[in-house]
Amino acid sequence: MKGRYADENLKWIAPLILLVILLPFLLRGATFSYRYYLYVLNIAGIYTILAVGLDVLSGYTGLVSLGHAGFLAIGAYTSAILVDQAGVPFGLSLIITPLITGLFGIVVGFPALRISGMYLGLTTMGFGFIVRRLIIALRTWTEGSAGLEVTKPLLFGFTFNSDWDNYFLVYTFVILVIVSIRRVMKSKVGRALMAIRDSEHAAQAAGVNLTRYKLFAFFLSAVLAGLAGVLFAHTMRFISTDHFDILLSIYFIIMVLVGGVGTVYGAVVGTLFIVLLDFLAIPIFKDWLGSFVAVEVADIQSLIFGLIMFLFIIFQPMGLYGMWLKMRIYWKLFPFNPKKRFT
Amino acid sequence: MADLTVENLKMHFSGVVALDGVSLEVKEGEIFSLVGPNGSGKTTLFNCISGFVTPLRGTIQYGDKDILCIPPHRIIDVGISRTFQNLQNIPYMTVLDNVLLGNHSGIGNRETVRRWISQRQRKIEETTALEVLDFLGLANYEQRYLSGQPYGIQKLVEIARALVSRPKLILIDEPAAGMNDQETMEIAKIIREIRDDLGVTVLVVEHDMSLVMAVSDRVCVLDSGTVVTIGEPAEVKAHPDVISAFLGEAAVA
Amino acid sequence: MKFRTPVSSILLMALFIGCAGREPTPGVTDTEILIGNIQDLSGPMKELGMALPHGANLYFNYINDKGGIHGRQIRMTMEDHQYNPQKAVAAAKKLIEQDQVFCLYQVIGTSPCEAIRSLLEENEIPLIAPATQSGTMSDRSRTGWKYIFHTDTGYDKQANILVDYAYEQNAEAKVAVLYQDDDYGANVLKGIAEAEARHGVTVQKEAFQRGATDFAGQVMNLNKGGATHVIIGGVVREPIIAMKTAAAMGYAPQFLGISPTMDHRVALGSGEAGEGFIAANFAQLYNSDVEGAKLYRKLFAASGTDPKVMGMYNFYGFMTAMILVEGLERAGKRLTRDGLIKAMEGIKDFDGKGVFPGISYGPNDRAGTDAVVLVINEGGKQRIISDWIE
Repeated sequence: MKGRYADENLKWIAPLILLVILLPFLLRGATFSYRYYLYVLNIAGIYTILAVGLDVLSGYTGLVSLGHAGFLAIGAYTSAILVDQAGVPFGLSLIITPLITGLFGIVVGFPALRISGMYLGLTTMGFGFIVRRLIIALRTWTEGSAGLEVTKPLLFGFTFNSDWDNYFLVYTFVILVIVSIRRVMKSKVGRALMAIRDSEHAAQAAGVNLTRYKLFAFFLSAVLAGLAGVLFAHTMRFISTDHFDILLSIYFIIMVLVGGVGTVYGAVVGTLFIVLLDFLAIPIFKDWLGSFVAVEVADIQSLIFGLIMFLFIIFQPMGLYGMWLKMRIYWKLFPFNPKKRFT
Repeated sequence: MADLTVENLKMHFSGVVALDGVSLEVKEGEIFSLVGPNGSGKTTLFNCISGFVTPLRGTIQYGDKDILCIPPHRIIDVGISRTFQNLQNIPYMTVLDNVLLGNHSGIGNRETVRRWISQRQRKIEETTALEVLDFLGLANYEQRYLSGQPYGIQKLVEIARALVSRPKLILIDEPAAGMNDQETMEIAKIIREIRDDLGVTVLVVEHDMSLVMAVSDRVCVLDSGTVVTIGEPAEVKAHPDVISAFLGEAAVA
Repeated sequence: MKFRTPVSSILLMALFIGCAGREPTPGVTDTEILIGNIQDLSGPMKELGMALPHGANLYFNYINDKGGIHGRQIRMTMEDHQYNPQKAVAAAKKLIEQDQVFCLYQVIGTSPCEAIRSLLEENEIPLIAPATQSGTMSDRSRTGWKYIFHTDTGYDKQANILVDYAYEQNAEAKVAVLYQDDDYGANVLKGIAEAEARHGVTVQKEAFQRGATDFAGQVMNLNKGGATHVIIGGVVREPIIAMKTAAAMGYAPQFLGISPTMDHRVALGSGEAGEGFIAANFAQLYNSDVEGAKLYRKLFAASGTDPKVMGMYNFYGFMTAMILVEGLERAGKRLTRDGLIKAMEGIKDFDGKGVFPGISYGPNDRAGTDAVVLVINEGGKQRIISDWIE
């Protein structure tokens, strides 16, 4: 039947790739401080990779994580140590580091087999704190909270020297991640994860091994966070515990929520929106507001983010379905076992 | 012979008796109905068969396999699939994807990797699902999201999901709940077709006596976790205990 | 008129080349020098973020009113990094590329300063007086060290001096250190390790977490170890709690503090427990009698600002502004970034109207001073009890 296989073709990918390639040239033509904008876009790209991973876990599978900054930190520090201290080539670290981070993901995933919702949120938040403490404790390799300088990415003999070079490195991975994760989510794996989110019993009756798939969701999510971490460390070229605080984890959740949970493109759009807002729009707004309001306007950042999340949750319920609905159920049943009763 | 044999099944939920020594046998190729008032243990029996709850005592055998020790996600590999009384669909997935979910264990890891790389595997996977949708008269629904579809369609999607893995035994939990007479007749036709055309043994839980009487080869009446009687519809209908206990007007009419 | 002759072409070319050779320095015009400042205006240290630039502007305005530096007015533009290193890099890029500042001044926080090192090196932009006392700032093994001129005495040096002081007071002293378990504490420990080697002793070490509220365990250990002098590497709240806990347990060693504990809130908040507490500081107090402090108080009063802003951090902005102005003065009329670096390297024993022990830099020296004064707390009032100690 015609059109039956139409939704997964690449008709969106080609213009998207073209836009991504052209954007830096357009920026260079438009403004002489284009490198600053490229830097912000690089951050957005790195966070996009992580947000897609978080979406796999929290959006598709319905397992809330407030500790993704921890996975990002593990990826960043692992790669910095592997490349700069153990002499592993950057290209190899791009493969090894995400896998190592993925193993951490599996370990963190074990509690998720028994708990979910808010309790899981708290557990993963605790994980984020533990990672920070661990980085400080492992001073020999990480230089504690003083932070670690990291070398530039070096791939096939080419050194990525500038924000311009990094842009193409980062966005190559962004596109790869978008395309491949979309494919995974359209396969039986994606269906199984969504089934776990919406009905564990339907999933089990269909033959989904809950243990395996929940752990896999954590693994995949952590792998992507680890990949983001590698790119983060080598393109930012300085990492410290101050980078990876709890606010960053919450920031990631907002990105996924705003974009719409359970869709890869949602995570991408949400991330771009939030990062550009945070780095470009809000500072301008703050200057403008500060020019005629005498009160302290510095805290407006959190106010704006809160407002955005609020509005999105109210007016964008479609995209927010999974996490929001589950959250609501958990809040309603809160002190009691929030597991849905089976009748 | 792949018969389902339940023997002396006992189950309590925090002191409330759900099943009290239930024994029955579903023969291959028959349509077997479980009837009884709310709380008589029909769904609990279903849950025991599909592994969601483990009974205190008793055995369940399918063919020559003891299925009590099989974890719930492996039950489908034995050839038993099921639907749920309350809809257990995935609202933000398309009808087609919901059906494909049912074939989860039918798709191997190698196929999944192949699926990731090329489109051809996708076609192979979807062909079976589309056949089942056509069979149930759901063609043209496959690209729609399940959320917002009418109740009857959602019920059928559940059945499609249970059928796509080509089971040998299907457990259908209250297919006619919340449906009008015409839809109920549709369901009755579908149940018969599942057995006649696909050769699948059907075990169905149902309240609607007209449906039960119309489709069943044999009927088992449960009350408070015990078997009142098992027999052909006409026998059961005439059974004095059944009439006095709860069939009442439905049986007379 | 014929311009298309070979001679005029050559002349025109020469003119172009001449112009290219005298490319204008970013941020410098005939009437203005634009400097960039990155503060924490909405993060955990926003109180400082407000106070520091205010103090700096007091001095810049004072200089501008006197006619500026070689006829140029100083103008400072600010960015907010929320104590986030990543935002600090974004802010620095924005200042350098969009606002085209001449140099950076007083970027606050250790990790934000560390994060922009490579940026300083790539763009060859000097950073004068980073607002942190971490000894890593003047560490010459790190990227971009050439561009960072650190003013303050590092935590490691301070710890060193405090150990010396303890043994000077009492040759039989048993010294212990109570440190915050982060980069700050690590820097303190580095100094302690040097002092241990010099004195041939072992210093008892107790750690605590930033934000800790329970010090019973640490104080008990210190008491058990018999420490007579305890060096505290904390900020404000934790040292107060530690001293109060000790007092409550009847344990009364001499407490010595690294410069962040010099904050008058420690003196006020610790009450009786903090009586006699001695803290190190790398400059004179804002309420002392030296010329610089008098000028500060005069300018502050004239500015009509809320008196609550006056204090150590506001004065810190003021005094580091003096160093920047000194460097700009020395760099001369033809101001370039390289010229500023050379001029800064030429600064020797600059005392900033008596505020500093003597700030000196050199071609291979980026640590402004290694000296401190000791400040004692007497009933919530702070008084300097020593000369400059190195």
